[in-house]
Amino acid sequence: MEPKGWPAAAKLRALGGAVAPGALGALGALGALWALGALGALACSGPAGGTGGGGRVAGARIGTPAAGADGEWAMPAKDYAGSRYSTLAEITPANVRRLVVAWSFSTGVLRGHEGGPLVIGSSMYLVTPFPNVAYAIDLAQPGAPLRWKYRPENSQAAIGEACCDVVNRGAAYADGMLVYNLLDGETVAVDAATGVERWRTRVADPNRGETMTMAPLIVHGNVLVGPSGGEMGVRGWMSALDLATGRERWRAYNLGPDSEVRIGAGYHPFYAAERGRDLGVTSWPAGAWMHGGGAVWGWLTYDPALNLVYYGTSNPGPWDGELRPGDNKFTSSILARDPDTGELRWAFQVTPHDLWDYDAVNENILADLPIGGSQRKVLVHFDRNGFEYTIDRRTGEVLVAAAYVPVNWASGIDLATGRPKVNPDKATGIGRTVHGICPSLEGGKNQQPAAFSPATGLFYVPTNNLCMDFTGRHPTYIPGTPYIGADAPETGGPGGYRGEFMAWDATTGRKVWGIREPFPVWSGALVTAGNVAFYGTLDGWLKAVDARTGAPLWENKVSSGIVGNPITYRGPDGHQYVAVYAGIGGDMGALIAGDVAAGPPYDVRERGATLPDLARHTSLGGTLFVFKLGDSRP
Amino acid sequence: MSVWWRGAAAISTVGLLVTVGVVRAARSPDGAVPVAGGPTFVVHGDNIQPGLPVVHSAAVTLRNPREGDRRALAEGSALFVAYNCADCHGSEGSGAMGPSLQDGRWHFGGSAGEVYESIAEGRPDGMPAWGGRLPPSQIWALVTYVRTLSAGHNVSTENFTGATVERQGH
Repeated sequence: MEPKGWPAAAKLRALGGAVAPGALGALGALGALWALGALGALACSGPAGGTGGGGRVAGARIGTPAAGADGEWAMPAKDYAGSRYSTLAEITPANVRRLVVAWSFSTGVLRGHEGGPLVIGSSMYLVTPFPNVAYAIDLAQPGAPLRWKYRPENSQAAIGEACCDVVNRGAAYADGMLVYNLLDGETVAVDAATGVERWRTRVADPNRGETMTMAPLIVHGNVLVGPSGGEMGVRGWMSALDLATGRERWRAYNLGPDSEVRIGAGYHPFYAAERGRDLGVTSWPAGAWMHGGGAVWGWLTYDPALNLVYYGTSNPGPWDGELRPGDNKFTSSILARDPDTGELRWAFQVTPHDLWDYDAVNENILADLPIGGSQRKVLVHFDRNGFEYTIDRRTGEVLVAAAYVPVNWASGIDLATGRPKVNPDKATGIGRTVHGICPSLEGGKNQQPAAFSPATGLFYVPTNNLCMDFTGRHPTYIPGTPYIGADAPETGGPGGYRGEFMAWDATTGRKVWGIREPFPVWSGALVTAGNVAFYGTLDGWLKAVDARTGAPLWENKVSSGIVGNPITYRGPDGHQYVAVYAGIGGDMGALIAGDVAAGPPYDVRERGATLPDLARHTSLGGTLFVFKLGDSRP
Repeated sequence: MSVWWRGAAAISTVGLLVTVGVVRAARSPDGAVPVAGGPTFVVHGDNIQPGLPVVHSAAVTLRNPREGDRRALAEGSALFVAYNCADCHGSEGSGAMGPSLQDGRWHFGGSAGEVYESIAEGRPDGMPAWGGRLPPSQIWALVTYVRTLSAGHNVSTENFTGATVERQGH
């Protein structure tokens, strides 16, 4: 479909210059922070690049060797680096307007369809939201028929422990097995040929508020998994399960004494603040680490050359900082662990003593980038806190840090320490309300993963533009119930748009181009060697844009809002396909948007404050859409 | 530890009400009908009763001893926050992790007794069972508060014609 009437506001647009804060309340002198181009080198992004020409970064590479056959999508994020980049180039800016629906498949489930399918050989594998059914589809037959369905036993009670909809972010595949997590706290392995369950292991306890939503990563026969529950007073961990048997090989906690965090002689963090004995205890009041959060519900990446797995930890619990003086390590941190032993090699706490629910679980994309005249092995991380970090992935040193969305809780990041310079006006506390904190607790970006193109050297980032008021109240820790202690209604951020899909240069910390959207862009990004980038919107549009310039190229309305991650693969017929789930939900769709969640007739909600208009544009759904190039037109 | 007696007090209260109400057969206090030589048959009043007279579940007949008590309302409102109900069900029950309590549509019944049962015994999709933790007077306070949340809410229809939120394009 030809794009008609793309919003004028959505075209390439410089973000420099002050924008009115709108109805957020007095921002005072900090209003100057809206002018993202106005501050010095330490803090914010520079002005967005203008139109055309792209921002090609020469010499940029994906940080790990290519995984598997290039026409497959064999890992949740395509490869160990988390690039979400495909070498397929049949679809190009010149022909993408010919994309049409090839087939679709109802997953049989409603609620948020985060994650995306896998394609290995001529099979596609899907995992649904709770009850976490898995499907195998035969791509080689007309109509893409099912080969098997696997319907696991999965405890309903876990639904009440899931903070942010009953999502699942996908399966991993290795040795002929599909491995994924069930909401109720078990990891299962299913024979990919037959759909028969090979093993299941209980790793998490819903009675303590733990559920499982993340996509595992498999390294050296270790299935790496971690729990959700940063809002439930859990004590976060990562586990390695034996791929063949499901038995736990090791478990490393993110909070607590060194022996349990697996800090030993091999631990070499870059910054002084990360060094010290038993920091996972001493950076907390006595015992508070035992239900201090630090959950592991986000994305994992892995560098085979360094043998390090990278992941981020969730916010600390409760949200009220006064009850947990100290840095609260290692919550809201990026950790690098040895996948064979679980030993911690380095840590960097992105938001020490978090007061805003800024989890650090967002993906760490591994890239080799030219920075300061030399090629550096880095990870690139778009944090909830509104700053993008380019970090040396060998050591945890921050090389670049820049705001990628409007930010006012901190005036910048001090590169000498990596720590944010917190604005005291935006520090939250019990019994008082702080107005207009940006970004909101949903962050400049949430679970929706970015993509990286070595062809352009740019990152493609689905972002939110939301702010919040935050009122702290005294929380109660009761296992199996939320441990939060705050109310934080959200509104759109400055500028009148609530989301933006942007191309970002992580060597300099600058936005190259951006497409503003009425709603937060809650889908993942996909980018190809054909120089096409894809993303989906909460009101149900799958969109294709030119990866070099951001020029809109194509869009297609699917059955429900998109919170999943588009993938691309080469079908058995040799042609390139694009696939994505339609199915609104997740934190933004289910919780925030009000009656979009009204599936069961007894649960009809008042329109939420944040996206009160979203329910006008979409309702619940659950369908996989697959696109291919249709016939040429004159 | 001292929980069992609270349960027994609740059951005997129920039993008193049931035997006072209109019943067609002698029943034990928990609504069970003893069947000679077999397991006890428990009546669930909302289920279809094939060819039998409708009997309401015991919970429906339970009266809230704190109904209309303004202190109960205030206490319930405070407990709704203190016990983390607000974090699951949303501030004032607007709906979040758990369903809305404002829509007037009760999946497991909206009578005082049924709401009491939901809180005390939990429900299948993850509503925890609080009966082992909270004394009945606190649960009744929560019942009093929760049942006021849906007052005045009409959720039946939303009409999107007329003025809508401005949206460019498409």
